[in-house]
Amino acid sequence: MDLLTVEHVVKQYARHKALDDVSLTIPRGSVYGLLGPNGAGKTTLIRIINRITAPDSGRVLFGDREIRPADVLRIGYLPEERGLYKKMKVGEQAIFFARLKGLSRREAVERLKQWFVKFGIEGWWDKKVEELSKGMAQKVQFIVTVLHEPELLIFDEPFSGFDPINANLLKEEIMALRDKGATIIFSTHNMASVEEICDHITLIDKSHNILSGRVDDIRRRHGSNIFEVAFRGEEDALRRAIEGRCEILEGAPEESAYRTLRLQVENDGEVRSVIAAVNEAVELRSFREIIPSMNDIFIRAVAGTL
Amino acid sequence: MSNVSLIIGREFNARVRKKSFIITTLLMPVLMLGLMVAPALIMEFSRGDEKRIAVIDESGLVAPELQDGDELSFETTDLSLEEARRELTDRFGVLFIGGDILANPNDVRLYANSTSSIVVESNITGQIERILEAEKLRGYNIENLSQILDEVKTSVSMQTFRNDKSQEEDSQAQSSIVATVLGYVLGFVLYMFLLIYGSMVMQSVIEEKNSRVLEVMVSSVRPFDLMLGKILGVALVAVVQILVWGVLICGIGGLVLPQLMPADVLAGAQAVQAGMPDAATVEGLNPEMLQAVAAMTDMGYVVKIFVCLLLFVFGGYLLYSAMFAAVGSAVDSVQDASQLQMPITLPIILALLMMLAVIKDPDSQLAFWFSVIPFTSPVVMMARIPYEIPWWEIVLSLAVLYASFVGMVWLASKIYRVGIFMYGKKPTFKELAKWIGYKY
Repeated sequence: MDLLTVEHVVKQYARHKALDDVSLTIPRGSVYGLLGPNGAGKTTLIRIINRITAPDSGRVLFGDREIRPADVLRIGYLPEERGLYKKMKVGEQAIFFARLKGLSRREAVERLKQWFVKFGIEGWWDKKVEELSKGMAQKVQFIVTVLHEPELLIFDEPFSGFDPINANLLKEEIMALRDKGATIIFSTHNMASVEEICDHITLIDKSHNILSGRVDDIRRRHGSNIFEVAFRGEEDALRRAIEGRCEILEGAPEESAYRTLRLQVENDGEVRSVIAAVNEAVELRSFREIIPSMNDIFIRAVAGTL
Repeated sequence: MSNVSLIIGREFNARVRKKSFIITTLLMPVLMLGLMVAPALIMEFSRGDEKRIAVIDESGLVAPELQDGDELSFETTDLSLEEARRELTDRFGVLFIGGDILANPNDVRLYANSTSSIVVESNITGQIERILEAEKLRGYNIENLSQILDEVKTSVSMQTFRNDKSQEEDSQAQSSIVATVLGYVLGFVLYMFLLIYGSMVMQSVIEEKNSRVLEVMVSSVRPFDLMLGKILGVALVAVVQILVWGVLICGIGGLVLPQLMPADVLAGAQAVQAGMPDAATVEGLNPEMLQAVAAMTDMGYVVKIFVCLLLFVFGGYLLYSAMFAAVGSAVDSVQDASQLQMPITLPIILALLMMLAVIKDPDSQLAFWFSVIPFTSPVVMMARIPYEIPWWEIVLSLAVLYASFVGMVWLASKIYRVGIFMYGKKPTFKELAKWIGYKY
């Protein structure tokens, strides 16, 4: 069941095309990574989903019907460029934003109190935003984004500006929101966090969707049959045993308790015979496929060498 | 509650709660009254140094008749002109009057030791003219001349009524001086409100853009609602300010002023209000002042002016603030805005200049057309309203003003939509015009 479907969206600005025939589907309950280098068109896509701008052609479906103006109440958006009214008090401001998203004042106050307790910031209620540090203001901004419990949450670089402890706190809250049924779109350059929390991704480059799918599938699909063998025994014996069956990748092996070698096996059918040969020659401790990191895939995809 | 009203509420509260707003709102009427009193006080205190003028009168006719005034004192001297000019440098100047002054009245020279002024010069020439006229009159050998002159002297004070308004006898007398002064004041108040509150909207848009709150806001509300809410929120502040001022001025006019005024002035003012004042009640009182007091304490007149003031401030402000909002959205800082502000501030200044022309002849064609054109109408019309112009003109002016506000908001919102996402470059007018055509 898909929560959001983007179909053949095109958006043309005065001099350049921000999005060119971009399609993607976001399954309900997923954490969906929206990746791409700077200026690829991610923000434009997010703005179209948020109904801040309209596409020139193509359409966006929310559930199974076209997205409507009232649907913004079911979306929470944390933009990359954060901002709050500096002269306004934290509590008052949070209530203001919550009411813009359709909550009643009473409801807003009730939920805010809970969040403030959860984040340990009860004392900030009557502080002005300009008195808060950048990280503190970001926390408030996060609460404002999720307070109306939207079905779709869009986070644009949510962890930038947070220390590791607070970034972790935030990550846990995001996962908790997903567990409660929210769908999350996650726009970032930070590939480590993509591997950690995203289950689906789309990679946008130069206004096109160049890669889409489940993170596991993509990584497996882009594995290049490189294996790492860890062993105890004569390296020369090993090299002799597998000669001709596969290519040995030279280069400094990773530091580990055992000796390691990297092998490239040309076709899948030979993996078993290679393992058998290795097993004959040396004492085999481990044999694993090296699956490329999202970071490698990202760089290779953008460079066009995937 | 709709989003626009939420935004209006936020904008309104953010401003009204500021200490600076409370202080200016309460102090402004006091300041205005102070400004009215100030010229009189300055006159009173600046009289300090008396200007002494040495007089060399070769005709012997003028010098004995020169009268010392508040500022000038005259003293004859026996020195020759050259000596006087060289030695009497501690005087304000040396006045030389030629021997054949009656036949040649241009033979008068003032050698001033410092900058002379129009006031001093006209005082001296005026006195000499008076003396020479009297001298010439005396040449006709009329008996009891001075007595006749005293009896002939008459001062006229006229009361102007509007015949086209009402033929009834008890219609209120209108003083053109009161209307002129009031017109100036109202025109300036409008001018100030348009500029101050208009640029307040602009600054607020720039601030929102810089603090990036806009990005958050537009994910909840349409940019059009955001702009409209801001404009209306600030408008509400302006309205509250005018209402407070109105109440304060009415309060002063209706309650405090009668207590402070001497009884005879008040009786005179009431007589003026009621219609024909008889000679006995107004004797010895300045008729202009009576009419001013009468106008200030006439509630109907004051209320009418305040209602018009509210309507024109509101309409004019809406029109201009929409333009200010568009400019604010297009730039990153107030400094960058100055160039784009030109087409906004020019019509306001034009309106002010027109007001100065119109106030001399409030029923002219010029006055009519500039109070219909929406960019100048708030200032120009407000300056005319104390003159009791026809209702239909006011209604027409308001209708055009509010209609063009709707058009301007529509146009401005187009620029605003594009502008709020543009960072880091200063757009030109050409680009702004192009933005209007963008579709979203």
